[in-house]
Amino acid sequence: MIWHITKRELYDNLNSLRFALATVLILVLMLINAVIHVQEHPVRMQKYHDATTKSLNTLKSRTDLFSIAQEGPGNLYKKPSPLYFCAEGGDIFLSDYAYGIHRVQIANNLRAFWSLYYPGAFPNIFNIRPDTVKVDWGFVIGYVLSLIAILFTFDSISSERERGTLRLMLSNSVPRHTVLIGKFLGALVSISIPFTLAILMNLLVISTSRDIDLGADVWIRLCIIFIIAILYLCLFIALGLLVSSSVQNSVASLVILLLTWCVFVVFVPSTLASIASGFSNPMTYDEYFKRRNQNIKTLKEEYVALLQETRGLPDKKIQIDSEYVAKGTEQEERLSQEQLTQQIAQIELARSVTRISPVTLIQHLLEVFAGTGFERHQQFLENVQRYAREYREFVTDMDRADPDSLHIIGVREGMSKKPISPESIPAFEDEFSLNHDFNDAAIDLYLLILFFVVLMSGTYLRFISIEI
Amino acid sequence: MMLTTLIRRELLDNLMTFRFVVVFIIMLLLVVVNTSVLIKDYDRRLASYNSAVKSNHDQLLGTRTYSSGSFAVVRPPNLLSIFNAGLDKRLSNEIFVSYSFVPTLWDGQVHGSTNPLLNLFSSIDIVFIFEVVLSLMSLIFAYDALAGERERGTLRLVLTHPVSRGKILLAKYISAMICLLVPLLISLLLVVILLTTSTIVSLKVDDFLRIGGIVLSSIAYLSAFYFIGMLISVITRRTSTALMLAMFVWGFLVLVYPNVILVRITPAQPSQERLASAFNQIEQIWDEFERERKDFLANDPIPGEESHFGMQGGSGLFETWYKDKSSLLFSYVAASYINKLDDEFEPQVPHVQNYYRFIIPRKIDAAERTWLVRKQALESVYFRPAIVDRIFLRLSPVGMYDAATQAWAGTDLIGLRDFYEATRKYRRTVIDYFYDKNAFEDRKWFSPDKGSVDWNSLPQFSFQRSSVHINAMRALPDLLLLLMINVILFLVIFSVFQKSEV
Repeated sequence: MIWHITKRELYDNLNSLRFALATVLILVLMLINAVIHVQEHPVRMQKYHDATTKSLNTLKSRTDLFSIAQEGPGNLYKKPSPLYFCAEGGDIFLSDYAYGIHRVQIANNLRAFWSLYYPGAFPNIFNIRPDTVKVDWGFVIGYVLSLIAILFTFDSISSERERGTLRLMLSNSVPRHTVLIGKFLGALVSISIPFTLAILMNLLVISTSRDIDLGADVWIRLCIIFIIAILYLCLFIALGLLVSSSVQNSVASLVILLLTWCVFVVFVPSTLASIASGFSNPMTYDEYFKRRNQNIKTLKEEYVALLQETRGLPDKKIQIDSEYVAKGTEQEERLSQEQLTQQIAQIELARSVTRISPVTLIQHLLEVFAGTGFERHQQFLENVQRYAREYREFVTDMDRADPDSLHIIGVREGMSKKPISPESIPAFEDEFSLNHDFNDAAIDLYLLILFFVVLMSGTYLRFISIEI
Repeated sequence: MMLTTLIRRELLDNLMTFRFVVVFIIMLLLVVVNTSVLIKDYDRRLASYNSAVKSNHDQLLGTRTYSSGSFAVVRPPNLLSIFNAGLDKRLSNEIFVSYSFVPTLWDGQVHGSTNPLLNLFSSIDIVFIFEVVLSLMSLIFAYDALAGERERGTLRLVLTHPVSRGKILLAKYISAMICLLVPLLISLLLVVILLTTSTIVSLKVDDFLRIGGIVLSSIAYLSAFYFIGMLISVITRRTSTALMLAMFVWGFLVLVYPNVILVRITPAQPSQERLASAFNQIEQIWDEFERERKDFLANDPIPGEESHFGMQGGSGLFETWYKDKSSLLFSYVAASYINKLDDEFEPQVPHVQNYYRFIIPRKIDAAERTWLVRKQALESVYFRPAIVDRIFLRLSPVGMYDAATQAWAGTDLIGLRDFYEATRKYRRTVIDYFYDKNAFEDRKWFSPDKGSVDWNSLPQFSFQRSSVHINAMRALPDLLLLLMINVILFLVIFSVFQKSEV
């Protein structure tokens, strides 16, 4: 019986104007998306490769341990995701590199070691082109698909009630929940058809391109993204059925649905984000530089004062030099880490508040599985920090392995002078793994399912108690 | 009077409806919440502006030689960016003015930036709310204006009276516009009340006129979408078809078109050859400058060192070449600061003064010639594509509305360029001031040991936004386009409706 109702709904929809319009719209958007990706992705990859090679060459050109320990690994780049077309994730606003270099001069001939810095990305300062949203899957699914879901369901119950066919159907001793599920499946299938078609076309264009090759891992990610998209679609179909069954006429139902859609999809994410980000005040760049200069000044003064005492005691001087190199390095790294932590905390808060909007959930999920956006950026920063530890350990290990060394890290005389083979220096490779992603996605997925279940049970209760 | 009867009928029909009440409440809620957020944001930007102005001024007063004077100017936040942010929050808002290069949009920096990651969240302004909600409202009001009456048969009934079809259309239009204007005007009134009651903001008469312009554009936008809805209504037979079509048209015009149209199949990379050739030209200008400088030093009676002439005495020196191939910045910035000149260098002083008297005007000249080349190249590489993008956006009423309100608010590209124009003017002021004081051949150019510079006589930078009538001139083309669309749509609807069978 369910299948019967589904089939009826499906035939109804397939012949309708909205089906044709929706198909054309989604197909065109998805094709545009694919063509852009095919054009842009090789350029992006090339840029990444050039940059990493350059940075790696500089690193490998150093042969003595001291300069390796002092200069640091240089620029560390974020690997672009092959699934950039699924979710762009605001990646242009997230810096695509971090760098480890030395900057602090403690005294004329004493420099602190390298520390990590996290540059901000300000792509808009010089960008005078108009603002647009990138046409990625996130846009197509988050905005267009949800709107289509509403347009397919707003009248599915209310119009039958208006025409009286609902009464007719229910008099045929069909249980109500069967009718509801039939209608739900009918809408789901009729929207899934053009959507699936569009996705297949999109992937066809992308996978036939010579410059892009999608691995097995990527296809698994795509499948997960597809399932999530369907879940998101279900959420909006449930919403449509809920409103449609609670309101007497279909125009009122559409007005409520469209306004709900506007509020939750278009306005809530930005408005709540700006409200939530007003609660915390991360360190401004002016403040950062002020504190940094203050730190360095104090350090210099302390050092100069101590230096007076060690005059004529070279052993003691080496000790103090080493101590201050470590101190300078540490305080520099701590400050930039502090700024980064504050910035991330502000964004985290805003992101969790905006989770009330389903479009934010789907954006987060797509970003996580596409390997772009904020979660991915944090993963990159973790990778960078892990690499920084590895790099520092490498220096201490190499020094410890040399019996001739004084093991006083921080000064040239105190460290191993053996040449280092370029191959042994650890190189930075940015990786992302699927396991990690599941953890990040858990809350969003849970909330999406929760919203769906709540809406679906609301619809069920509403439809059961409906009077015809 | 038949027309008033018709209008009254329609008004009662519309005002009492559920859709009207819901739209009204949602609109007010969105506007009030967002306005308070935006005012808070403006407050923060204004505070940051004030502190930047103060710290820059303090910094200038702290420098004691002419050559080390730093003239950073800051762009004040635009109050009307609350209505349409445009480029106001995006572009650089602090710029260093120096005699050695002519400042452009690409030489600026940002002051008071807190968290660059915040850009992950898009920000909305009042015009964006109107863009989305008003257009939706208009379509919902319009889609059944004719199709509905035709279905119900009431249209036939009305037409049996001796009333012309044009009058029916007009009555429908006027009554719907009255219904639509109520939420628009009340929410704008709320915005203005919120603005005037907040302590930090002070609205001037000019600002009220600009807001008036924004209201005018909003009305034209509203009416354009009402006509689009009516056109759909008049050409479709059934209300359900009309509704579907209207919703897809809305989704396309508001949601899809503005984001899709600017997608270039070839990535929008700036033309590298054009930039490279301009860069070469600029390099030649500075080579020539360098040659002149070398010649001067070679012919000099005292064999001079580089710019500093080996002078010592607690000196500070800042010299650097700024070269950037993508923005064509090319300049040699130098500042010297010799705290206390050692006595042995005293005989060299007239010679150094002579050198600076010769070299600085030439440097200024080189900078001006660089600007001529740079201006043209930047125009063709960056400005023209940005203008073309905006023309494409204007193919949809949403784009016209956005452009018109930006022009009224002064947050459009041209309005922002006014600021950079003002910085260039200020640079001239500084140079004139230098000439006026004979600064280049003054000892104070490089050393403050016999008295330091008194900067108080230097005129301070102040940026006056363009007056209302210039805003109006800039907004006029888009406003006219919107009105033209209104007229065309009305004519089309009228002719279709005249011929249609009831």
